[in-house]
Amino acid sequence: MKPLSAHTAHAYRIAVIAFHAFTQLVRMKVFYFLAFFALILIASNFFNLPQHEGPEAAGVDVLRAIKSWSLGAMTLFSVVLSIVSTALLLPKDVEDRTLYTILAKPVPRLDYLAGKLLGVMLLVFVSMAMMDVLMTGILHIRTDMVLSDQMAFAQANGWTAGEMESLKKDILAQGPSASLHGAVFAVFLRASIIASLALLISTFSTSTLFTTIIAFLIYFIGHFQADARAAFLSQEAGMSDGFFAKIITLLVALVMPDFQLFNVIDAVIEGQFLPWVIVGKLTLMALFYAVFYTIASWLIFAKKEF
Amino acid sequence: MSESIPAVEIRHLVKDFKTSFKRQPLRAVDDVSIRIMPGEVYGLIGPNGSGKSTAMKALLGLVAPSSGDCAIFGKDSLKVDSRNEVGFLPENPYFYKHLSGKETLEFYGRLCGIRGATLKDRVAELLDLVGLEDASHRRIGGYSKGMLQRIGLAQALIQKPRLVILDEPTAGVDPIGSREIRDLIFKLREQGITVFLCSHLLEQVQEVCDHVGIIFRGKMIKEGTLEDLIAIEDQTELILKDADPALIAEIEALIARDARAELIRSGKPRTTLERLFLRETGKIS
Repeated sequence: MKPLSAHTAHAYRIAVIAFHAFTQLVRMKVFYFLAFFALILIASNFFNLPQHEGPEAAGVDVLRAIKSWSLGAMTLFSVVLSIVSTALLLPKDVEDRTLYTILAKPVPRLDYLAGKLLGVMLLVFVSMAMMDVLMTGILHIRTDMVLSDQMAFAQANGWTAGEMESLKKDILAQGPSASLHGAVFAVFLRASIIASLALLISTFSTSTLFTTIIAFLIYFIGHFQADARAAFLSQEAGMSDGFFAKIITLLVALVMPDFQLFNVIDAVIEGQFLPWVIVGKLTLMALFYAVFYTIASWLIFAKKEF
Repeated sequence: MSESIPAVEIRHLVKDFKTSFKRQPLRAVDDVSIRIMPGEVYGLIGPNGSGKSTAMKALLGLVAPSSGDCAIFGKDSLKVDSRNEVGFLPENPYFYKHLSGKETLEFYGRLCGIRGATLKDRVAELLDLVGLEDASHRRIGGYSKGMLQRIGLAQALIQKPRLVILDEPTAGVDPIGSREIRDLIFKLREQGITVFLCSHLLEQVQEVCDHVGIIFRGKMIKEGTLEDLIAIEDQTELILKDADPALIAEIEALIARDARAELIRSGKPRTTLERLFLRETGKIS
């Protein structure tokens, strides 16, 4: 057996821990939630929103409902999964003393943390991918149904070819699209940030419950962070030149992510196009916070005694 | 040259733990020094809470010394690379319940950078060594205490370490399991692997260790080779088999004639309850 180089050895160990964490969570039967997701998806087909538009838009609201319910369920599952799994894995290893046996091997503590986090991210990614496939499948079938109904309606009412083409385009915009996959990826990115935050909290927390509660609190605060920052800045600017306010808000933004940036998901539900630049920005943001929180976790975990 | 480097070198180790606000820190280990040469089997004995496990954890870098230092084969134990040469079995280990015995060994092997056919062969070899081939595909969650200790010992040996640290290796294990673990320690000694174990089961330590340290309230109070520590220099033991009562009377008469010698006790030696149990259950003849 050829020995691995130092960098490859780190990557190999991280991958071993990540796949193990993934297997551990899978064997905890977390994928059972997919059955619930399928139920939600089927239920969303029968959920009738009050219709304010004409008969030419009939069925389009169902497509929106499918997307809205699916992405909502994905958000809920991904956030719960990322917080609970991360909050559970680390304290469980300490409690069961399995951590002793791992750290007694030539495993740097950073590799251990990175492996655990990547394992959770892998689980969330696979879950999201499976839910995406389910959603796209249902949406595809339903879009075809709506399209054939609407085309029949247009033909019966003597619509011109141009009008029919425009209607078709409008309906297809509500169907499966690359933007929809981009929105699912954004849900995954948001869950990744939350998982890395939960990892940081679990390095100093004394219980899984504490980690879970604090992570959920920060998740909710993250949705109001931008508004609070803007309000604070406008207030401060009136009193002084706002220098300290800017520093404080910069620090807040550094430590606490602004989850409002993920509101693009709502625009996709409405059938709008999601530019790839936005997806790129969200990816960079998620990467920044994942690395930032992991390094912060390591700084605490490296000093921790067992 | 490498044989002159101690397998374990603990120098003036002190470990204080912070307690609640305004209270004095708790000194778990107080100026303990231990030196174990390659191939030795060293037993650290002491009552519960005497600092044995803390000393072991400091040696593995799981706790940082308040003062003093620890080294494994000359490498600072706070550095990760010192762990290449060491295998550790903690007290009452619980491995991942969702993995089978084989998967557990594969996981620990991969953490040590072992891969492919080498890993497969090593896992098979260790399962054979600890006698768990038949249970290798069973989930760890269904293992008995003795099986857990044996798989724990196997994971400690996965990367062929030169030093094995065992914290209470037979805690909670029945006499048969305890015997099997003791036999494994003998096998390790035959292979030239250094063993550092801690236990409060004195008889067991006496059976396997050649060096012993006694730790009490964090301080090392006695240390040396087992022979030096337990031999009663002014007494001699003579055990006879199938001796005629007349012969015994003759020996006693001889002793009585000597001006200095004194017969302290004579009678039938007793077996231990453990040996009786093992003989009756067919584990030894």
